[in-house]
Amino acid sequence: MNPVALGLAVASAAGALAVAAALLAPARVRVALVGVLTAVLGAAGMAAGGAALAGHIFTAHVSQLLPLAGVYLAVDALSGVFLSVGGAVVLAASVYGIGYFRHSGHNGHSGGNGRAIQVLWPVFAFSLVLVPAAASVSTLLVAWELMAVSSLLLVVSEHRRSAQVRSAGVWYAVMTHLGLVTILIGLVWLASAARTETFAGIAAAAPGISPVVRGGVFVLVLAGFGSKAGMVPLHAWLPRAHPEAPSPASALMSAAMVNLGVYGLVRVGLDLLGGGSRWWWLLVLLLGSLSAVYGILQASVANDLKRLLAYSTVENLGLILVGVGAAGVFKDSGFPVLAALALAAALLHTMTHAAFKTLLFLGAGSVLHATGTRDLDDLGGLRARMPVTTGLFALGALGAAALPGGAGFPSEWLLLQSLIHGLVVPGVTVVVLLPVAVGAIALSAGLAVAAFVKALGTGFLAKSRTPAAEHAHEPPPAMLAGMGLAALACAGFALVPGLVGPLLGRAVAAAGLGGAGADQAAGRLSALGSTLSPLLVVGGALLLVVLLRVLMRLVARGPRRAAPLWDCGAGPLTPRMEYTATSFAEPLQRVFDNVLAPESDLDVTAYTESAYLVERVAYSRAVPDRVEHRLYTPVIGAVRRAGTASRALANGSVHRYLGYGFASVIVLLLVLAAAQ
Amino acid sequence: MTTMSTPANGASELLDLAAGVFLLAAVAILWLRDVAAQTRLLAVQGSALAAMAVVLGAEQAHPELYAVAAGVGLLRAVVLPALLRRAVNARAADRETRPLLNVGASLLTAAALVLLAYAVAQPLVRLEATAAARALSVGLSVVLIGLLVLVTRRNALAQVVGFLLLDNGITAIAFLAAAGVPLLVELGVSFDLLLVVLVLRVLTTRMRAVFGSADLDDLRELRD
Amino acid sequence: MTTSSVVISALQVTLVLAGAPLLTGLMRQVRARLEGRAGGGVLQPWRDVRKLLRKARLDPEGTGPAFRTAPLIGVAAAIMAAAAIPLAATGTALGSGADLIAVIGLLTLASAMLALAGLDTATAFGGMGASREMTITALAEPTILMAVFALSTRIGSTDLPAIVTAGITDGARLASPASLLAAVALAVVVLAETGRLPVDNPATHLELTMVHEAMVLEYSGPDLALVELGASMRLAVLLGLWASLFAPWGIATTAGAAAVVLGAGVFAAKLALLGAALAAGEVFTAKLRLFRVPELLAGSFLLAVLAVTASFFLN
Repeated sequence: MNPVALGLAVASAAGALAVAAALLAPARVRVALVGVLTAVLGAAGMAAGGAALAGHIFTAHVSQLLPLAGVYLAVDALSGVFLSVGGAVVLAASVYGIGYFRHSGHNGHSGGNGRAIQVLWPVFAFSLVLVPAAASVSTLLVAWELMAVSSLLLVVSEHRRSAQVRSAGVWYAVMTHLGLVTILIGLVWLASAARTETFAGIAAAAPGISPVVRGGVFVLVLAGFGSKAGMVPLHAWLPRAHPEAPSPASALMSAAMVNLGVYGLVRVGLDLLGGGSRWWWLLVLLLGSLSAVYGILQASVANDLKRLLAYSTVENLGLILVGVGAAGVFKDSGFPVLAALALAAALLHTMTHAAFKTLLFLGAGSVLHATGTRDLDDLGGLRARMPVTTGLFALGALGAAALPGGAGFPSEWLLLQSLIHGLVVPGVTVVVLLPVAVGAIALSAGLAVAAFVKALGTGFLAKSRTPAAEHAHEPPPAMLAGMGLAALACAGFALVPGLVGPLLGRAVAAAGLGGAGADQAAGRLSALGSTLSPLLVVGGALLLVVLLRVLMRLVARGPRRAAPLWDCGAGPLTPRMEYTATSFAEPLQRVFDNVLAPESDLDVTAYTESAYLVERVAYSRAVPDRVEHRLYTPVIGAVRRAGTASRALANGSVHRYLGYGFASVIVLLLVLAAAQ
Repeated sequence: MTTMSTPANGASELLDLAAGVFLLAAVAILWLRDVAAQTRLLAVQGSALAAMAVVLGAEQAHPELYAVAAGVGLLRAVVLPALLRRAVNARAADRETRPLLNVGASLLTAAALVLLAYAVAQPLVRLEATAAARALSVGLSVVLIGLLVLVTRRNALAQVVGFLLLDNGITAIAFLAAAGVPLLVELGVSFDLLLVVLVLRVLTTRMRAVFGSADLDDLRELRD
Repeated sequence: MTTSSVVISALQVTLVLAGAPLLTGLMRQVRARLEGRAGGGVLQPWRDVRKLLRKARLDPEGTGPAFRTAPLIGVAAAIMAAAAIPLAATGTALGSGADLIAVIGLLTLASAMLALAGLDTATAFGGMGASREMTITALAEPTILMAVFALSTRIGSTDLPAIVTAGITDGARLASPASLLAAVALAVVVLAETGRLPVDNPATHLELTMVHEAMVLEYSGPDLALVELGASMRLAVLLGLWASLFAPWGIATTAGAAAVVLGAGVFAAKLALLGAALAAGEVFTAKLRLFRVPELLAGSFLLAVLAVTASFFLN
């Protein structure tokens, strides 16, 4: 039997069982049962994706499931990448969730063992498996909406906790549905131009569609899918919604759901529309570079740990979009090998990002679970109480900072390689934009190191700054197991990235960049292990560290002794004297003052008796999202004004409302009669 | 559209008769002002609809149309008019005394709507010159007349009548054009109708309790 | 990874390990003489290392594994870089794995670890040094990668042996505008990454002006010896990298013993020359305010961008 079909069938069965278990099982075993079944779903999805990457193709048509259209499924190597990534993240997050949801109900987050969350969890996981497998417009839209609604409900599941959760829910609901409408219009337009709604049919009919229609469809699809992928300026929901969801759900959203925006773009732009014009992909390249720099800049000045991670997602998705854009540009200019390489770099970065982002979000969830706060300024000193979590988070941070030994290093290296070789492409715009993209990637890489040193250093090292952080404890074993799975993936990508070379070659070919180019690129990817030799570099460095340590032990005169810290003779140091996350990021914030535009407020209250004696000083500082401020506020204001103006249409008379309907029916019939 | 085979002459005459009764019932509802009488006319219309379904089932040899005809007849000729009659108060407050459009004007408008329906349905008649195709324009006319009743009557119960008229017209079109709708859809629509009638009954009772009459324009006060 | 390449790498590592403190000593001596002082002699850094190694190992209270491993990683990264970069000969042990981006990444990893160690001490100085160091690193990255871009476009690879060999065989390329601009840009970056004037003063005693020294304030004894050794090795490696990229004459392209020995000798001479020039320049330079450093780095970024455009348009 086709292994892909088997994997999908097992995933569906596991999902259905999980939903049934969530509804019927008693509270004692509910969380564990749902967690295990969803983990099975994830593993099956990963297996199906892996089988697709190994060359198996699967198509199916279930005509009765959806009215009017039927369900079309097709899994090729490109879907396989996103299927396997989604499945792997579901697996790790579900295992983690077994511990997280069972122990929730204290420390600032409300009970996650309620039926609602447990039902939504497998539904969300299943939708992540369904979207890459969809092969017709209606199937894709239904799966997309299922994903949006289930994730929305998960985001607001802890709505009693604070007003921020509700506000985040509203933002997310509005933006994801606006994205859905945009995708709907774009895809339906495409389907009507191609006179068929199955992807295979559209791909066959695409060359005959006029460039105006294709361009219009691409812009709409870019807006819709890009918004899901957190592309600036349509990213405003990401840093609001991801922190407020329960941590396993944040991991799923950040590491699996946003990838599907990239999937949609690649599928529609490169595969269905066949590549299109160069300006499409230059636009993607530009927006990707902008997202990368803006995202990490906001991350480096963020105090909330999960907000930092959410902005880092924006950055990484920006890098992936740079790769996709470069692939499109190279393909259009007739350089298939470079195009294949760039797309492969983007896909590899998708995989590595999923690995380290999952690990980081799960780690942040453990911190939240142990201390009840996400604010880096209030944490610190967690290493002594939670050593394993600190070690795992450090591995994830290494990956996010794209340093050697981290999961993100091979993929960023490959991305840079494909861009550096891209100067051979003729055209002034390319020559100008490629260095800009390389500069943006470089700046984002540097800022990422700063941001994650901040997150790790001020959050986990040093001394605890609040009692909450002092009383932290190691999370339960299920949560550690989930993090361990993600860490395993990170280590794998860091040490032996060449293993996925041939798989990526197939995926790139499935995206429409096939032929000799893809084969050559696949060859180069397989040789990634020897070209970059990360195993050698990391192994050598570790060996040297061990050697030096032994040497130092031999040379030493006696055991290590404790010693006090240098306090300038002024007395014992308190945790208040440490550098907090805000102070760590202050030089960066000053350098990028014009871009970030922080708002600060200083309030000095003096005694009534004398204006020179200060009683109290209150200082507050916030770094808002400037894009949101400049772009969204005017748009929302305009919409509000339009809404207020159109209140006159609704004056309360039932007859008037019915009259509107009647009049439109009559008008339509008249038009119909006249047009015959 | 599924095939509309040419029925035997007798069957086509029966169909024409049923369609005629259907349309006449709709016009009469527009003419009369007493809601109680309107419910009786609704029952007549429901029976005509069921008859159309039976005739179509006979000559198209679709046995399930019989079952649908029975269900439709039961619902629209018996159950819904009975429910509506119970809501009608014997007091004069339920006579439509001042409709938005007076009777003469509404009859003229109805005439214009019927003409429009015939004009729009011409291509279908040209496609297949059967009695069923001709009856399509009747269905469309009843839909438009139902909308007219909905828009121009103040009394809440009269609006329910208009709504039921609308739905009868849609069902007629479905039978004539496509030999009925899938059973599932028909069940769903019927359930909806039941719910609408029940809800509006409750609303009317509440309105009477608060305002003393069931005039929908009183609801405008709640706007601000 | 042939035996000859392993030998070459081992030779380079030994040279850097033994010679880096000497380089630092030479630089201090040149400075001292120019400032009218007697100086401590070229061997003073080695004497300092020996003194420090004999002291007891201290563990400042509250510090953890991050603090203890950072010096080890600093030295290990510098050794790996010395083994990978073609300093004396192009056939190093890592072969084509000696990627310029990877080497820079290793050195950045070492400074990130040191920043974490600074934060781990939970003192204000540690945090301050870490914060400033990370800002400077973040702003230096674009310049580095742009310069890499400029250098590798002509050759078509970011492979260090390939770039160095191309520089040796095609000498005229080194005098091209692209190469010169990239050289100046990378020189500024080397100053920033190694903490020399005008970015950071390695000889300052005022904590508020420190960047690198503030991070390592709590280290003492053998740990401090490793930190100092790591810092001087980093300087030697980065200067050697700059020399291999922009002044590659003398580097052996074959694996013959004589050529390699000659290459090693030339490398030592180049390093001494560069170090002396750097030290002489430092006498006449003042340290920049911290918030002027981004301007300096932005200027070097501009030069690197010009190098890229020059390499394309003046092809």
